[in-house]
Amino acid sequence: MKPKALNKLLSEAGDITRFTGKFFKEAFKPRYEFAELIRQCFYIGNKTLSLVGITGFIMGLVITIQSYPSMQAFGAESWLPSVVSVSLVREIIPVITALICAGKIGSGIGAELGSMKVTEQIDAMEVAGTNPFKYLVVTRVFATMLMLPLLVILSDTIALYGAFLGVNMKQVVSFHLFTNQIFEKLSFGDVLPSIIKSVFFGFAIGIIGCFKGYTTKNGTKGVGRAANSAVVVATFVVFIIDLMAAQIADIFSIT
Amino acid sequence: MNTQTISNSQQVIQINGLKKSFGDNHVLNDFNVDLLQGENIVVLGKSGSGKSVLIKCIIGLMQPDSGSIQVFGEEVPKLSHDSLDKMRINVGFLFQSNALYDSMTVRENLEFSLRRHWLKTSKENVNDLVMEALNNVGLPETIDMMPEELSGGMRKRIALARTLILKPKIILYDEPTTGLDPITGREICNLMLEIQKKYNTSSIIISHDMNCVKITANRIVMLIDGRCYANGTYEELSKSNDQKIKQFFD
Repeated sequence: MKPKALNKLLSEAGDITRFTGKFFKEAFKPRYEFAELIRQCFYIGNKTLSLVGITGFIMGLVITIQSYPSMQAFGAESWLPSVVSVSLVREIIPVITALICAGKIGSGIGAELGSMKVTEQIDAMEVAGTNPFKYLVVTRVFATMLMLPLLVILSDTIALYGAFLGVNMKQVVSFHLFTNQIFEKLSFGDVLPSIIKSVFFGFAIGIIGCFKGYTTKNGTKGVGRAANSAVVVATFVVFIIDLMAAQIADIFSIT
Repeated sequence: MNTQTISNSQQVIQINGLKKSFGDNHVLNDFNVDLLQGENIVVLGKSGSGKSVLIKCIIGLMQPDSGSIQVFGEEVPKLSHDSLDKMRINVGFLFQSNALYDSMTVRENLEFSLRRHWLKTSKENVNDLVMEALNNVGLPETIDMMPEELSGGMRKRIALARTLILKPKIILYDEPTTGLDPITGREICNLMLEIQKKYNTSSIIISHDMNCVKITANRIVMLIDGRCYANGTYEELSKSNDQKIKQFFD
């Protein structure tokens, strides 16, 4: 890496860290913007609900269909629901949901705040006596942190229905037996880390989208760049968090 | 030309030795100006000469490197966040791009300035203030419209209504006629004068539009090389033989 590029990378990492520090400083000080938080939660949930649901269903179905031949080769078809459900709930659904949200929510936040920045709406808010950081950034970051776990739980559920359909395409299994096989292996220790992980995914998507938008420069060109880099950086950070979560879960034997 | 006499000579804004640089670019370099009660000052200068930076320093959106900015006797760069917020009640700012919140209706845009918890405005009073501000700019029918549904001139008027809702004593206009056709531009300038008469406001107007300057200015301040290069009425400056001044009036 060239020294100039490295300098830029480190400088941006420093800026994001400062921005995150400001988030924690502002987040717990009154005034609390509850109405805007609820509006953002509704907006984020409503915007991604169908996409996350459909993707979850497809993932459940596809993973089941693709895992069947391998399980059949070992004569372990009856293990299919439990194996698929564990991989869906622990890893696939949280990561896929986070990636969808990074694409849809991260870019949306980046573009919205970027456009507000270049059209001086953020300055206008400050002149109007509202702390724009609190009103725009804190609410959006909390909204992504709250909505990501809910979307993951919903997508997990829908994915398991997809898996049920996948299993029934190859053999006949009643819903009762299917759920029994799932909950024989799927424990609270599988669900909890994925929920905690998704809170961090939500935080990363929100803070990076807000940072990119809030620090937009160079007019409309900068808005496009902010939206684009919000997705790229948030996607990368989601994978980093996932890697760290796997290591931490391993260290504390949450397996 | 705005020939209103400034009978009350009380200074509402005093700027002394103001300096602001961006790297090696010294946009404001020992700039001095006073704004009197009821007066309209137009700050004239080339693009990038620091005119917008000047009014952003006055409203506290930018910190000057050095110098003094006093608004109603309060030193703006030294004000705490809360004091700055209270000062801004008396100082309206009309942004060049209007800066209307595009995800909110006209009503919500106007109500936004009344969110300050310490204002304690009742719901009926909020509605009255919104209607009064919209009536002042002649657009009460747009109350439930979105900014994207409005023309450029209407947006400028709504932005002005938003500035007026708290009845500020000083209004800072950042290029109020930019992007408007000459007729709409003239309407906006006349509206600015009407508002000045009605509420006895003082204004600092940033403009390149010489028609607007002629209509609105009691006094013109030429911002050249970061300094107050010249200061006088439209008549006085338009007769100047100084090439740097003359080029704006040719």
